[in-house]
Amino acid sequence: MAISGRSLADIDWWILAPVIFLMGAGVLFIYSSGVTSEGLVVSNEWLKQLVWVATGLVLLAAVIIVDWKRWRDLAPWFYAASLAALVYTRLFGRVVNGARSWIGVGEIGVQPSEFTKIAAILMLAKYLADSRHDPDRFGRFVKAFALAAVPMAFILAQPDFGTSLVFLPIFLVMAWIGGIETRYVAFVGLLAVLTLGFAVLPLYETVIADAPSVWLSVFYEPPRSWLLIGGLAGVFALSTLGFLFGRRRYYYWIAYSSLLLVASLIAALVGRMVLKEYQVMRLIVFLDPSVDPRGSGWNILQSITAIGSGGLGGRGFLQGTQSHYRYLPQQSTDFIFSILSEEWGLVGGVIVFFLFFLLLARCVVLLRSLKSAYAAYVVSGVAGMIFFHFIINVGMAMGIMPITGIPLFFLSYGGSSLWTALIGVGLALAVSARRFDL
Amino acid sequence: MSDLNKTGDQAVDPRRATILLALIGAVFAVYAIHLFDLQIRRGVEYRAMASTIARQTTTIPAQRGEIFDRNVSSPLVLNIDSFAVDLVPAELPAALRDTVFQKLAVVLDQPVDELRAKVPPAYYHLYQPIELAQAVEYGTVTALAERADEFPGVVWRAEPKRSYAVSGSFSHILGYVGDITREELKVLYNKGYKTGDLVGKAGIEKQYDALLRGKDGREYSVVDVRGRAVTRSNRAVDQPVMGSNLVLSIDRRMQELAEDALGERMGSVVVLKPATGEVLALVSYPSYDPNLFIGAGGNNVYAALLADSRNPLINRAIQSSYPPASTFKAIMTTAILEEESVSPDKDVLCEGQISYGERVWRCWNVHPGHGKVNLEEALEQSCDIYFWVVGRDNLGIERIVAYASEFGLGTASGIDLPGEVDGFIPTPQWKERRFHEKWLAGDTMNVSIGQGFTLATPLQVANSYAMIVNDGVIYRPHVLKEVRDASTGAVVSRVEPEAIARSRTDPAVYAEVRSALRGVITEGTARYAINTKAVEVAGKTGTAEVGLPDRWHSWLASWAPYDAENPEDVIVVVVMVEASNPWEWWATYATNIIHQGWFSGQTYDEAVAALGMGWIAKPSASRME
Repeated sequence: MAISGRSLADIDWWILAPVIFLMGAGVLFIYSSGVTSEGLVVSNEWLKQLVWVATGLVLLAAVIIVDWKRWRDLAPWFYAASLAALVYTRLFGRVVNGARSWIGVGEIGVQPSEFTKIAAILMLAKYLADSRHDPDRFGRFVKAFALAAVPMAFILAQPDFGTSLVFLPIFLVMAWIGGIETRYVAFVGLLAVLTLGFAVLPLYETVIADAPSVWLSVFYEPPRSWLLIGGLAGVFALSTLGFLFGRRRYYYWIAYSSLLLVASLIAALVGRMVLKEYQVMRLIVFLDPSVDPRGSGWNILQSITAIGSGGLGGRGFLQGTQSHYRYLPQQSTDFIFSILSEEWGLVGGVIVFFLFFLLLARCVVLLRSLKSAYAAYVVSGVAGMIFFHFIINVGMAMGIMPITGIPLFFLSYGGSSLWTALIGVGLALAVSARRFDL
Repeated sequence: MSDLNKTGDQAVDPRRATILLALIGAVFAVYAIHLFDLQIRRGVEYRAMASTIARQTTTIPAQRGEIFDRNVSSPLVLNIDSFAVDLVPAELPAALRDTVFQKLAVVLDQPVDELRAKVPPAYYHLYQPIELAQAVEYGTVTALAERADEFPGVVWRAEPKRSYAVSGSFSHILGYVGDITREELKVLYNKGYKTGDLVGKAGIEKQYDALLRGKDGREYSVVDVRGRAVTRSNRAVDQPVMGSNLVLSIDRRMQELAEDALGERMGSVVVLKPATGEVLALVSYPSYDPNLFIGAGGNNVYAALLADSRNPLINRAIQSSYPPASTFKAIMTTAILEEESVSPDKDVLCEGQISYGERVWRCWNVHPGHGKVNLEEALEQSCDIYFWVVGRDNLGIERIVAYASEFGLGTASGIDLPGEVDGFIPTPQWKERRFHEKWLAGDTMNVSIGQGFTLATPLQVANSYAMIVNDGVIYRPHVLKEVRDASTGAVVSRVEPEAIARSRTDPAVYAEVRSALRGVITEGTARYAINTKAVEVAGKTGTAEVGLPDRWHSWLASWAPYDAENPEDVIVVVVMVEASNPWEWWATYATNIIHQGWFSGQTYDEAVAALGMGWIAKPSASRME
C-alpha cells in the first residue's frame, strides 16, 4: 500500500500551510518578546525556536514517511513507554516551577508529559477502533476512559495541573467521534466542569463574589455539604434500585444526575485538599483580576491591556509598549498571543484564529472521509488536543479562561510542545496521504 | 483534494463530525467577537491605560519571628534596624553613571565591579529600584543622605536584619538565614516563595522557616508606563503578617554550662529531659558566628568555614556518628537480662585477654584482669571479656541488633533540626552484601562492646539512656517548645511529647540496669571522676578505639537524679569528646561539672571551684593543634 509517487502533492496543504504560517509568526514574536524598549535583543530564544521548528519538521516528515499502520501496531508500546517515562520523571525528574516534570542531561531537557499526549491518542484510537463492535458499550466507555485517565493521573501527581487537563478534551473528542454513547461522553464532560466549579466555589465566594450566597454554601460547608452528599448518595441508591426493579426510564436519569453530583462533590472535596489556595486563585482570578493585581491577576491585567491597546491594526512589529517594557511575564511562552495582538492588532489576531480554524476544520473534514476508523480517531484526537490548547491559551490571554500554563501550539516558545504538535500534525498528514487504507 | 467528500462507507458517523465542526466554529466565532470587543470597542480605553498608567506594587517585607529560650527572657535571635540601598537606574543620568558608581563603591565599601554587575545595561531605562547593598548601617545611610545631590537615583529603605544575640554553641541550633538560591526556589516555588526571599539555611531557621517568615504585605501605587509614580493618594496597603515567635526547649543556662564544660574540645554535648524529649542543651564544638557571614562581605567568612578541616558547620551532636563503645553495654545488659541469656549471677573469668579466631582479644584492663565477674560487676568495671563471651556465646548477633534498633540506634530520631544522620547497626546480611564476606563470631564480639561498624550519634546515645530511665519509652527529642503570636505573645501551639519507641521489656529489667549503672558511678570505672555531691548520678563511660595508639573517643552517658521522685526532674547528659583532642578522659569530667552546675545552680566556674577541679584550667592552646 505504498503512497503513490510519494510527492509533495500527496501532502494535505490545507493542514500543513496554516501550521507553517503559524510557526513563522511564532518565531517573529518570540524574537519580539526578547527585545527591550531600547531595542536591545536580550534573548536568543527565537534562534532556539528556529532549531526546534527545523527538527520538528524533520520529525513530522519521519512520521509521514512511515506507514501509519505501523504506528497503530506500535501504539501499546509507545503508551507503555510513555507511562514508564512519567514514572521515572516523577521519581528522578527535575523540578521546574514546583513540578517534577523534566528529564534530561545537562541543559537539554524534555517534558515526557508532552509526548504522552501523542502516545495516549494512538493508544486510545487503537482501542476504540478495535472495540467498535463490542456489545458491552458501557465497558468500552470505561476502558477507554481508563486509558486516558492513567497518564492524566500520573501528570497530576507531578503536579502539573494544566498539562494533565489536556487529556480530558482529547478523550472527549475521541470518544465522541469514536461512537461512545452521548450520555457517557456528557457524563465525563459535566463531571469535569462540575468538579472544577465546586472546587473553586468556596474561594470564589470569599474573594470574588460581592456577597457570599448562603444557598451555595451547602456545596462546600460542612456539615451541610456532607448532608447533601449523603442525601444525593441515598437518591442515587434508591433510584438505581428503582431502575433495576421498576425499569422506568426516569429512574435512570435520576440516578445519572445524582451520581454526577455526588461524584463531582467528592472529587471537588479531594481537589480542595490537594490544591493550595494560590493554585485555586490562579483558576478563578480571571473572573476579576483586580482582586489580586500584583499576584495572579497581574498577568491577566497586563495581557488584556496589551491586547486591548493593539486596536485594529496593532502598534506595529516591535512597537508594543507592554511587552517591551517587560510588563508581560512569560511573554514568549504563555502570553505570546498578547504580544502578537498588541503589535499586529485585530487583523493579526483574526488571521491567527483563521489559520487555526482552517487547520481544525480541515481535520474534521478529513476524518469524516476516512475509511479507517483508527485513522479517523487519531485525527480527532490531534484536533481535540490542538483545539483545547487554543481555547485555554488564547482564552487566558484575553482574560476569559483560567491561568493554567498551557502553551499555544506552533506559536509559543518551547521544544517539547512544538514537537508534540508537529508529530500530531504529521499523523494527520500521514493518514491523509494514505486515506483509502484500512 | 476535492475527492475528500466523495467516498462512501466512512468510519465515522458524519452527524457527529458535523456537530464537532459546529462546536469548533462556534468557539472561534465567540473568541473573534471577544477579541473585537477588546481591541476595537474598548481599544481606546486600553491604549490609554497602556501608555499612561499601570498599577504597581511594592512588597512590604514581613518581620521574621524571633527565637527565645525556654525561659522566654531575652531573645536569642532578633531583628535589628538596618537599611538596604537601592538604585533607580533611569534617574541616574548616563553622564554621571561612572562617577556615581565610583563614589558609591567608596561609601558602601564594596568593589565597584560588583555594584555595576547588579545594574546591567539592559536595566538603565528602568524606574524599578534595584538593590545594591543589604545590611547597611545607619551611619552609611546618613552619609548618603547628607550628600543626596551627589547620588541621583540612589534611595534607601529600612530592612530589618537578622541578629544572633548569642553565638558560640547556639549557632548550630539556631542556624542562619540567607538569600534563596535558584535550587531552593525550584523546590519551594509551590509553597509561595519567590526570588529575593530570605530563607532559613540551617538549624531552627531552616526547620521552621514557614512559621518564622510570616507573610509579606503589599503596597499598591499607580505608575506610568516607565514606572514613575503618578499619584500617591489612592494607595492601598495590605499589611504584612509578622512571623511567629518560637520558644525553644533549650535552657540558656544549661546550654552555656554545657558549652563551657566541653570547652575548646572537638565534640558535643546533649542534655535532654527523658520524660518529654525536650532538649535542654545541644553543644557542638567547633562552632561559628552567623553574624559574620550574613552581612556584607560574608561570603569570604562562609568560604573559610567551609574550608576549615574541623568542619565547624557540622552539628556533631546529630550530624556525626561514632562507635558508641562501652556506653552500648547498657543496651547489652538490658538484652541479657530480658532474654535471660545467662543468669545475672553467673561469673565469667576475665584474665585480661582471651584468644579467639586468629587474634588475641585484650580487655581494657589487661593486667591483672577483672577476675571473676558477674553481669553487674562487668558493667560496673566495663569488662570487655564478659560482654565478648556472653554476646558471642549466649546472646547472638540477631538479638543484639534487635535490641540496638529498639533503643533507637540506626535510625534518625526525628529531632526537629535538619541534617540528622541515621547512624548504623551492622548486620550479617549487610556484611554479606557490602564485603561479600561471612559474618564471623568475632564481628559479634566487636558489636557486643559497641565497636566494629556500629555508629551512633550522641543524640541517639542520649535517647537510649532515656529509654532506660523511662522504663522503655523514648520521646521524640525536640528543640521547639512553643509557637507564640508575635504581637500578642499568646501561645499558638505547644509541642507535645510523642513516643517514638515503646519496648515490651519488663520494667523490672530496667530497674536492674539502672541500679547497675548507678554502680558504675559509685563502685565502678567513674568512681573517682564523678564526685559531685549535688546529685546522685548514674551512667556509663565509653572509650572508643579509632586506630590511634594514644587517643580514643571519650564518651559519658549519664542521668541524674538517679532515683528521682518526679520524672520531670531527670536530665540525661551525654558528652562525647572526639579522639582528635589529646586524651584527657574529658567526657567524664565534663559530665561531673554539668551535673554539679545544674543541680546546685552554679555557673561553670563556680562548679569547677566547688568540685575542686581548678587544675583543669589549662590554657586552651595546649589542647588544640
